[in-house]
Formats: sequence, structure tokens, C-alpha cells
Amino acid sequence: MINQSHAMEVLYRALKHSAADQTEAVLMSEKTDLTRFAESTINQNISQEETTLVITAVNEKKVGIATTNDLSNDGIKKAVESAVTISKLQKPDERFVSFPDKEMAPKLDKTVTVEANLDFTPADMAEVVLQAAKEAKVKNLTASGAFRHDINTVAVANSLGVEQFGRFGKSELSLTISGEGEQSGYGIAFSPDPSKIDYSTAIAKAVDIASRNINPIVLPDGQYTVILEPAAVGQLLLFLSFLGFGGRTMAQRRSFLSGKTGELITGEKISISDEADNPIFGTLLFDYEGVPKKRITPIKNGTAGEGAFDSYYANLMQTQPTGHSVQPNNGFGPYPKHMVMQPGDKTIEEMIASTEKGVLITHFWYINYLNPMRTMITGTTFDGTFLIENGQVGSAIKNMRTNQSILEAFSNAEMLSKERIVYPQYASLMQVPAMKINNFNLVQETKEEWEGSC
Amino acid sequence: MDIQKIAMDGLVAASMHKASYCDIRYEIITDEKLSYSDGDPDPIESSLSAGWAVRLLINGAWGFASTDDPAITIDKLTVRAAAIAKASAKVSQRPIELTPSPVESGEFISRYKKDPFTVPLTEKIAFLTGIDEAMASHADINSRSCFVSFRKLEKFFYSSEGSEQHQVLIQSGSGISMGISKSRRENYERSYPKAAGQYELKGYELLDELDFKKHIPQLADEIKQLTTATACPQKNATLVLAGNITSLVIHESIGHALELDRVFGMERNFSGISFATPDNLNHLQYGADIVNVSVDASADGALGSFGWDDEGVKSKKIPLIKNGILTDYLSSRDTAGRVNHVSTGNLRAEGWKNIPIVRMSNTILEPGDKSFADIIGEVEDGIYMDGPTSWSIDDLRKNFQFGCEIGWEIKNGKLADAVKNPTFSGCTTQFWNNCDAIGDKSQFVIQGTPNCGKGQPGQNARTGEGASTTRFLNIEVGVQS
Repeated sequence: MINQSHAMEVLYRALKHSAADQTEAVLMSEKTDLTRFAESTINQNISQEETTLVITAVNEKKVGIATTNDLSNDGIKKAVESAVTISKLQKPDERFVSFPDKEMAPKLDKTVTVEANLDFTPADMAEVVLQAAKEAKVKNLTASGAFRHDINTVAVANSLGVEQFGRFGKSELSLTISGEGEQSGYGIAFSPDPSKIDYSTAIAKAVDIASRNINPIVLPDGQYTVILEPAAVGQLLLFLSFLGFGGRTMAQRRSFLSGKTGELITGEKISISDEADNPIFGTLLFDYEGVPKKRITPIKNGTAGEGAFDSYYANLMQTQPTGHSVQPNNGFGPYPKHMVMQPGDKTIEEMIASTEKGVLITHFWYINYLNPMRTMITGTTFDGTFLIENGQVGSAIKNMRTNQSILEAFSNAEMLSKERIVYPQYASLMQVPAMKINNFNLVQETKEEWEGSC
Repeated sequence: MDIQKIAMDGLVAASMHKASYCDIRYEIITDEKLSYSDGDPDPIESSLSAGWAVRLLINGAWGFASTDDPAITIDKLTVRAAAIAKASAKVSQRPIELTPSPVESGEFISRYKKDPFTVPLTEKIAFLTGIDEAMASHADINSRSCFVSFRKLEKFFYSSEGSEQHQVLIQSGSGISMGISKSRRENYERSYPKAAGQYELKGYELLDELDFKKHIPQLADEIKQLTTATACPQKNATLVLAGNITSLVIHESIGHALELDRVFGMERNFSGISFATPDNLNHLQYGADIVNVSVDASADGALGSFGWDDEGVKSKKIPLIKNGILTDYLSSRDTAGRVNHVSTGNLRAEGWKNIPIVRMSNTILEPGDKSFADIIGEVEDGIYMDGPTSWSIDDLRKNFQFGCEIGWEIKNGKLADAVKNPTFSGCTTQFWNNCDAIGDKSQFVIQGTPNCGKGQPGQNARTGEGASTTRFLNIEVGVQS
């Protein structure tokens, strides 16, 4: 794994080779250990590591990017030459102003919020899997899932004098405990440090859900009061953030935040901020341009707030970067990756007890956009959907499909839970509560007329 | 660097750890992408990535390690993989067994007329500028994008069984999208060949074959139709699908459903499982009699083609569904034996750093005998849909819902008014059993999908799905959107 002096030496060397007007060098190193298991057997167990150097050269507003994992002097030189050559041939991008300077991106003394644990081994991960398999077996069930531990190193330097270095860890255990047919239960746990991950709770929860997720009944299509467990809320929040919290969607005026600052856009119980410096995430304190990450609040008490910006989109929108640049040329533009949804004042048990008739949803499967302009998504409930009657969780329900606007759903939020979890999905981490929502669209997955033919 | 010598040293090291099988890959991946968004150039990106991977079997369990760090010698990488295999063996209900596969050595260079990496950047920029200007010439269009993308993938593969293989694959892709944005909530878009473009195992000549300038006026006209179109009606209808959306339905409801690792629950926690369990083999009526589907990694020019998969199994064409009956799965050497078959050669990794898993190569719905005119002409009342935009399918690959860019009502055998946001839903076997017409060879295209996601850490596979126009009876269309 590359150390700080080596990483910075690579970046300095890259900058030295470049004769472009402006040059930025970003070094990203990732070591991933991942143990996947199914049918209570480890079926994929890997260690992979890659270190990538990304050079962005700008000449007269013409931008070229070259990426290499050849960190020899010759490899670095070739990448720089490639970026510079591309930038000279490219058409100018009149929207480009400058990379951040030292004033905008002062060097941070503290590099990360939580130190990465470098000592966790595949054997340690196998022990956790063994426990999941044992606890599942007690109930005549089997365990599937993945235990993943990443150690990431990021170093940034540019020709305007910006330089940063940081390292952080990220660990997650995702579990599906299953039995015959569609019987299954879901659990998830996250920690920056794999030795501190609360796997016992995740395993117990998944086993409990699976044990109760039997003999599912069919509910008719309709609008239901639902209680979304935190993982399900996190999935909706992630799609909402892609649609509207990023500077690129705001610059393109495709965001639901565009031109709405201060206006009520969803339920007043909804407040969402982005807090990379919160120790629960244990992540980098600067972005991929070296700009310190600032806290932002895209939605406060239901009203539209500020978006996430890198220097490029901040210049376009005549605002300041917020430290949300993601990997160079990623195609999405800046977006918040460490979101926090403010909690409510009820326990999940109280939310259930307050519900005369409703549906408890553990999480969703295969969410995709249906109509992005209306924040409309589609997906199915999964790994534990239960009927709530007279304040109590009852029968399991066959998975149902939702076609639902996220902002409308959040507008109909009646309660949020005190308890929150850190929910990891893709490159994002979210601290989210459970949510009780009225008038949530659910339809049967398998229509009655299809039964027997599918 | 003497790649062969390093690999042989790795195989020797693996034998010292008592590995019953080992394969070693070295890959060099070169990518280049240029694009324009709304008339402005996006940064041009060029990338190079190379590295080593060791996969080995000890005590019936897999270990895998990969690196691009020159300081990690092949011996050290093998030690790392061996330690992982030994950890895996602690939690194992069933020792891995590999089905036999012939030792294969040789070279495969994909066919191309013009190596895109020899074409000057200025020529590529001029090509995109021309396309962008052609789209911009349509006055009402206020959003547009276009791209070209090229990849050269060079692979070296060595196995403890004696296979030594060298492959060079050249892949090219390109596509355009244009639209009218009336407000944040009112946006109409059309793409060609589809939103993700078209990718093939070809060289720069693909760009000429796609003939964008011919299609731009048609897209502009269809976008105008969308601005006045009514919503897709909600009903059960005869549904006709263009090849580009048929290919996505094949991908989601047949390709993924027949991945044998998924069938055995190996993706339960992430990518899901499959309704098509082995007890269905050779008798499940997956589709109508006219539905014949094959896996074919040897299809000429298709994105999912190669010489050998990532455990050295030679590419070939194998039927999956014959006259509607399920006959095989997409498999690897460690899964095929569980259904008493041999591997179909579908074990693939995204790149050197990834462990290979069961992936689609090219999934082909064999063309039928109907002309497009007949497929439409025989429908009294129905809907024709084109251009996939949205898809979602459950964890069993059973119940699905798809959305398209545009649809047209079919009235008395003719295309009538356009409808916007068309969607359809169904259940895999019911849907394919309701297929009553498949277009002829003239409509057949193997669509390239450059971004099929599966596995943890996530891997993107490049796959192909061959399809013509298709027609289905009594399908639910028009969900709320």
C-alpha cells in the first residue's frame, strides 16, 4: 500500500513533467478485502488492490485527462504527456475557470476522522461468516452475504500549490438469511473499522426477519401507510440525492432544488445535510480537488437549501465549491456522499403501535428511475415485508412493486424514528431513521391472472 | 517484462501451496472516450491499466488476489491468494469441483478494419463536432449529447492444467441523444441506437456503420411528436417491441435468470437469485415454440465475444432455450457440474483486478420470419415501443417492469399517434410464452451493453443481446409514471 511520501513524490513528479497552463494530479489507491458467502459457504474470497494516477491538464481552457496505474517515472511522464497532448487538441471549454488555489483548498493538518485498521485479515472475516452460518443453522436457515473491508488512500496536488493526503477505512457486512422458497431476512452493518462492526446485531436481525417471513399473504393494489425501516429510507434518499443535490443537475436546471431555495418542496419533518466530517463515517476531510469538505443542508424542514459543488460547477453557478468533487471525469458531477437525515422523536415500536393498518418494509430491490423529473422511482419490496394491523406486526406479505415519487412520499412522512443506522450503498454512506409514510403506492408483483403461468 | 516467465513462477508457487488448480492472468486495458454535452466538449479521457491476478483452489475452496503494485512479486501475490483460500475452506459446505475442459493454447485477435487507437484525436473530435452540429441544426432541440468510446483489452492467461492463451480485443462504441426540455418536469428525449449507444467488437469502422446523420432528422421528428403525445394508455394490449428494447428484456429476464451461480444462490444477497431452478431443466416451457435463445461468445463482431473466457474455456454457441424449452444455463467450470453439464464458457472478469464470475457473453434470440410490416400489419389494436429508458426486475428475475422513450398506438395494422412515457410489465415465462412473432434477419442486431453490473465489488461486464422486433399478446402496458 502506497505511503504518504511515495504518493506525494508521484504527484510532484507528475506536476514537474507538465508544461500545461494548469495541471492537477490525483492519486487514488484502494485495497479491498471481500468475503462473499452463499448457502453458508464462502464462495468468493478476494484481495484486490489498485493505485491509479489521474492527470488533468488544461491549456487555454482545453481539458485533457489521462489515467494510468504505471507509477514508474516513465509511466508518469507518458500519462502527463498524454493529458497535455489531448488538452492541446481538444476544443476549449469556456466554462472552465481554474482549479482551486491554496486559499480555496488550504492544506489540512488532520487527514481523516478515523484511522484505517490495517490489521484485519481474511481469517477474521471468515470467523464472522462462520457465526452467521451457525446462527442461521439453529433456525434451519442459511446465510448469504458479503463482508467487505476497504482501505482507501487519496492524494491531490495541483500546479497552483494545493496538496492533500488522506487515508480512510470502510467496512460493511450485508446479510441475507434465507430458507425455503422466498423466505428471507436482511441485515446490514457499517463501521470505518472492521473490528468494530456490529455484526451480531445484523445477524440477529436478519435471522429474526427470516424466521417470521413465512406463508406470505397477498395484498391488493393500493395506497398504504408504510413504515420504511432505515435501509429502505436510505435507498430512497440515495436516488433523491442523485436527482437533485448535485451541482451538475442544478447547473442544468434539472434539479428539484433549482430556483426553489427557501421554498417548501417536501414534508416539514425532512431535514437532510451532508456531513463528511462526522466521525460515524470516518472518511476523508477533503475532496478530489483537495477542497475541504463543508457541511451543506440541501433540505431543511422541508425547504430547499444548498447543493453540493466542485470548483467547476461552483464557477458556473457563481458560488463557492463545497468540497464535493468526486473522482475526475466521473460523469455524474459533484454530489453528497455522507448524508445525514435528522431523526424524529418516536421509536420504531411506537411507530408500529400507532398504525392501525399498514405495511412494514425492510428494504427495496432494484430501484430504478421511472420519471426522474418527478423523482418517480420503481422497485419492489424485499427480504421481509409485513402487514401491520392494530399496532402489531403480523403476517408476511408477498413482495410488492412501488411506483412512487420520492418527494411526494417524504411529503407524506408522518413520523421519523429516534434510532438511525449508517446505511452504505454504492459509494455513499447515509445516517437514516425509519419513516412512517401515508398514501404510499404499492401494487402486486404477480397478478392473479398470471398465477399458474409464471 | 517476461509475462510468461512470471506466470510460470506463479504456477510453481501455487503448487508449493498444494493448490489443486491455479490460473494466472495479466491484462492491459486501454480506454479512450470523447463526448459532447449540449454543444460543449467534455474532457477527453485516456486511460491505461495493467495488473496481475492469481486464482487458486486449495482444500476445495477458492482464493483470489490481484495487484498492480510492482513491489508485490508473483510469489507474494500467490501467498496472499493461498491464505485467502485457506480462510475460505473454514466455511465450506461443499468442496469446489471443476468440470473437465480441454487444455487450450493459442492466440485470438478480434477482427477490425481500423484500429481506433491509430486514428488521430483530431479526426475523432471532428467526427463528434459534425454530429453535434447536425443535432444542433434542429431548432427546437435544446438538449443533446454524443460520444465515442474505444477499448483495447490485451489478456494473457496461464493455467496449472497447461493452457496458455493470448487475446487482443478491440471494442468501439458510440451513440447520440437529443431532446426538448420544456420545464424541469417536462422533458422529451430520443436516442440512437439507444440511450447507452451501441458497442461492438469492431474498430473505428463502427462509426460509419451507425450512420448518425441519417437518423438525426428522424429523432428530431419523433421528439416533436412526443411534445404533443398523450400518456400511454393503461390496459392489456398486444405489444410490439423494437429490437433495442427486446434486447434489454432478453438481458434481464433470460440472460441474468440463467446465470448458474445465481441459480445456486451465490448472488442472493446482492444481484438476486433465479426462478429457473435446475428442476426446470429440459421441461420448463420458458417461452413460446418460436422462442429459441442461445449463448454465443463466438458471434462475429458482437460486444460479448472473445476467444476464451477467463478460465480458458473456448467460446462457442450453445442453445439455452430450444423451441421454448429451457435446455441449459450460462455456466463456469465450478458450477456446470452441478447440473451435469460442461461449462458454457461464461466465467468473466471486468479486468485484471476482478475475480471472474458467471456473466453473459452474447445472448441471442434467434430471428424469426416476420417482416416489420407484417408484425405491425397483423395488429388490430396495440402499442409499439422503442428505446429503453427504465427497467426493474425482482430478485427472482420473474416479475418486471420496463419503460421506453416513445411508443405509438397501433390501429388496424398501422402505426398511429405517439404516446409518451410508455411502460409495460409482466412475468418472465408468461411474457415469453405470449410471444407470437419475431422479426426476420433483416431486423436482427446484436445490441452491445457496456455496463452490465453484477458482483461485489461491483463489476461491469460487456455483453451482447441479439434481437429483432418482437410481438407479445395480452401484456399490461401503461403504469403510472
